[in-house]
Amino acid sequence: MRIGTRKILDRSFTALGGFSIGLMILALILILVPMFIRGGGALGFRGTIEHRRLLLEKFERGNRPAIEAEIRRFEERRAPIYRQIAEFEAELTRGDSARRRQYAPALRDLKKNLGILLGPAPGAPRPMLARDQFGQTRWDRAVIKLDRVLIRESWDYSDPTRGGVRVRVPRAREFEGTPVAGIFPFLENHLAEILQPRPTFYWGFLTDESFDSHFFGGIWAELLGTFYLTAGAMLFALPMGIMAAIYLTEYATDGPVIRLITTSITTLAGVPSIVFGLFGLAFFINTLHLSSAKSVLAGSLTLALMILPTVIRSAEEAIRAVPRTFKEAALSLGAGRWQTVTGVILPAALPGILTGAIISMGRAAGETAPIIFTAAVSIGKPLTLFQTLTQPTPALSWNIYNLATEHEAMDEIRHVQFGMVLALVSLVLILNIAAIIVRARISKKLKG
Amino acid sequence: MIKGDTWLTPTLARRGLLLTPAARRRQWLVRHVGQGSLLLVTSLSTLAVLFIFYFIIRDAWPFVQLRGIREFFTSTHWYPSAAGAEFGAASILFGSAVVTFGAILVAVPLGVAAAVCLSDVLPFSLRQGVKPVIEILAAIPSVAYGFFALVVFAPLLQEKGGQLLAVASWLIGAPVLALAIIVLSDLATTRMTDARRRAGRWGLAMGLAVPALYGLWALSRGLDGLQINSGTNALNVAIILGIMALPTVVSVSEDALQAVGRELREGSYALGATRAETLVKIVIPAARSGITAAIILGVMRALGETMVVWMASGNAAQIPTPWFNVLEPVRTLTATIAGDMGEADQVTGSARYHVLFFMALCLLVFSFLCNGISQRFIRKAKRISES
Repeated sequence: MRIGTRKILDRSFTALGGFSIGLMILALILILVPMFIRGGGALGFRGTIEHRRLLLEKFERGNRPAIEAEIRRFEERRAPIYRQIAEFEAELTRGDSARRRQYAPALRDLKKNLGILLGPAPGAPRPMLARDQFGQTRWDRAVIKLDRVLIRESWDYSDPTRGGVRVRVPRAREFEGTPVAGIFPFLENHLAEILQPRPTFYWGFLTDESFDSHFFGGIWAELLGTFYLTAGAMLFALPMGIMAAIYLTEYATDGPVIRLITTSITTLAGVPSIVFGLFGLAFFINTLHLSSAKSVLAGSLTLALMILPTVIRSAEEAIRAVPRTFKEAALSLGAGRWQTVTGVILPAALPGILTGAIISMGRAAGETAPIIFTAAVSIGKPLTLFQTLTQPTPALSWNIYNLATEHEAMDEIRHVQFGMVLALVSLVLILNIAAIIVRARISKKLKG
Repeated sequence: MIKGDTWLTPTLARRGLLLTPAARRRQWLVRHVGQGSLLLVTSLSTLAVLFIFYFIIRDAWPFVQLRGIREFFTSTHWYPSAAGAEFGAASILFGSAVVTFGAILVAVPLGVAAAVCLSDVLPFSLRQGVKPVIEILAAIPSVAYGFFALVVFAPLLQEKGGQLLAVASWLIGAPVLALAIIVLSDLATTRMTDARRRAGRWGLAMGLAVPALYGLWALSRGLDGLQINSGTNALNVAIILGIMALPTVVSVSEDALQAVGRELREGSYALGATRAETLVKIVIPAARSGITAAIILGVMRALGETMVVWMASGNAAQIPTPWFNVLEPVRTLTATIAGDMGEADQVTGSARYHVLFFMALCLLVFSFLCNGISQRFIRKAKRISES
C-alpha cells in the first residue's frame, strides 16, 4: 500500500474514534436537554388565573384579596361568552325543533370544550373531579385547548382505502349566522385578558402532594418515596458492603471459599434487575411475609441486594488503594488487626468508599424494575417513617413509567412527567457529580 | 527495689505484658467470633445468589410440570390469558434477541472505537474530560432513557424516521465507501509500473465511485420514502439500549487496551507501522480477551434491561415479517415479566404466573453463563498483561 493511503487510513481511524466520542457526548446532550427544558416547564411557566385560584382553594396559598379581585375580573371578561350562549339557547327553545336538532349536539360539544378551557360555566353546579373544577392552569395548555374550542376535529372514514382522515372544521362556520358565532373571534383575541397569564414559579411542584391523579399539585409523595427506598437500601447495603470489603481485603486468604464468594459477587452484579424484582416478591413478600403486600421495607431490601456488589467492589478498591505503609506503621506501633482496620485503614479509605456509596445511591434511586413488584404504587399519600415498614409508596422512577404509559390522559400531563424525570435525573446527576468531585480530590491528595 | 512500690513487682510486670489465661481465651474468642461474623456477612452475597436461584427455580418448576417446555421454546402463540391459554414464547425470545443484537451492533463499534481513542489518541487532559461524560451516561436511570425513547425519540422516528435514516445512511455510507474505494484502487494498482499507476488509480477510483454514489443515492431515496407506522419499535429500542450499553463497553475495553504493555506498541511503531496499524493489528488482538468480556457485559446490560423495552418496544408478541424488519414492534422477556406480573399475581399457582418465573429463569441462566464466560476472559486478559 502507498504511504499516502496508509496515512489516510490512519487519519480516518483517528477520526472514527473522535466521531464515536463526539457521538457519545452528543447523545448525552440530546437526552438531557429536552429533560431540562421541558422539565423546567413544570416549575416555571405562564400560570393563568385558574392556577392562582387553585393554589388559593386547595393549599390556601397566595394573596387572597388580590386573587379574588382577579377572579372577579375573569368572571366579568368571560361573561359575554356565556351571555351569547344563553341567548342562543333561549332562541333554540323558542324556535322549531328541526333547528334545535341541528344545533343541539354542536352546542353541547362547544360548551364541553369551553368548560375545559375556562372552567365550569357561571352558576353551574360544582363538578366532582378537580380537573373539571378548574379551567386551564397553564397558558401553554390553554393555547392548545383554545384550538379545540375554535376548531372541531373529526375523523372522516368515508374513503375505505385511506383509513381515517382528520377533518378540521372551524366552529365559527358551524355556527354561522347565530349569536354564538361572535364568541370565537372574541375568544381568539381576548383569551389572554380573560385568563391573565403571568410568569409563575411553582416551587410547590416539589413540595405539594398531587391530587386528582396528578392533574394538579406536585410530586412530594414520589420524592419522599424515592428518598425512603434509597435510604433504606443504603441502610442495609452500606454496612454489609463495607464489612464484606474489609473481610475480603484484610482477613481473607485465597481459597475455595473466598473464590466462591467473589464469584457470587460478580454473579450478583450480573443478575438482571427484573429478576431481583421477582425474587423480592417471591422471597421477602410471599415467603418471609415481611409485609402482607408491597412495602417500602421489601423494596429497600431488594434494592440493597441489587447494589450490594457495587458497594463491595468500590469499598474493596478504596481499601486496596490505601498505601501499605499506613497499615505497616499501625501494626508496628502495636495496634491489633481490628484496631488497624478501624483506626487507620477505614479513615484513609473513607472518601473512596463514599464515592462508591454515592454512585450506588444514584443507582438505587433510579432503578425501577426491582420495585415494581415489591414497593411501588401509582397513587399514594406521603408516608411517615413508621409506615414504611408496612406500606407501599409512590416513587419517582415508577411514576414516570406509570404516568407516561398507563395514565388515562397522559398527553395532558406531559409537564408533570417531564418534571418528574427532571427531578430524578438531577438527583442522580448531583450524586454523581459529587462523587466525581470527591474522587478528584482524593487523586489530588494521593498525588500531592 | 523499694518496698511498697508495687507496680514493679515481678508478678505484676509479668501480668502487664502477658495476658492471663482467661483474658487470652477472651481475646481468642473475640477475634474468632469477629472474623466469623465478618465472614458471615461476606458470604451473604453467596447466600443471595443461591436464594435467587432457589426461589426462581421453585416458582418456575410448576410451569414445566404444567405445560412442559417444548411449547415455550417452539411456538409463537402467546395467549396467556385466553381461555385455552397458550404459552409459546418463541416470538418473545426472538424479540429479546433482536433488540440485544441491535444494541450490540450500535454499542460495540462505537464503544471500541471510543475506547481506542481514549486509551491511545486523546491527551490526558481531554481524557479526564470525557470520563465524566461516560459516567453520567451510565448513571442516567433506565426509566429516564425509556421516557426519552417513548416521548421524544418515538414521535421523531414516526414522523421524520425516513429522513433520519437517509441522513444516517449518507453519514455512515459516504466515508466508509470512500475509504473502501481508496484502498481498493490502491491495492489493485500495486502491480502496475510507476508511470501508469497514478492514472490507473484515479481511473479505478472514479469508476468505482459512480456506482457507489448511485447505490448510496438509491438507498437513501428508498429510506426517505419509508413509512414508519409506529415509533415504538425494535430500532428505537436497539439504539437507546446501544447508548445505554456504551459506557460498559467503553470502560471495560479501555481497561483491556490499557493493560496491553507499552513494549508491544513501541515495537510496532519502531517497525514503521502507523498508529491505526499498530492498534488494529497489534494492540486490539492483544486485548482480545478483555474486549470480548466487554462485549459480553454489554450483551448482559442490553438483555437484562427492562424499562426501555417495556416503554418503547411496542410490546407486540410477534416475529416481524420479514424477520429482520426492525421497524416493527417487538416484545422482550423482561418487558413481559414486568407487564404481565400485575395481572398474573392474582392467579398465583396458575401456569400464567409460573411462566413468568420460567422466563426469569431463562434470563438468570443466560446471564449466569455470560458472566462466567466474561470472568474467564477477564482473568485471561489479566494473565496476559501480567506475563
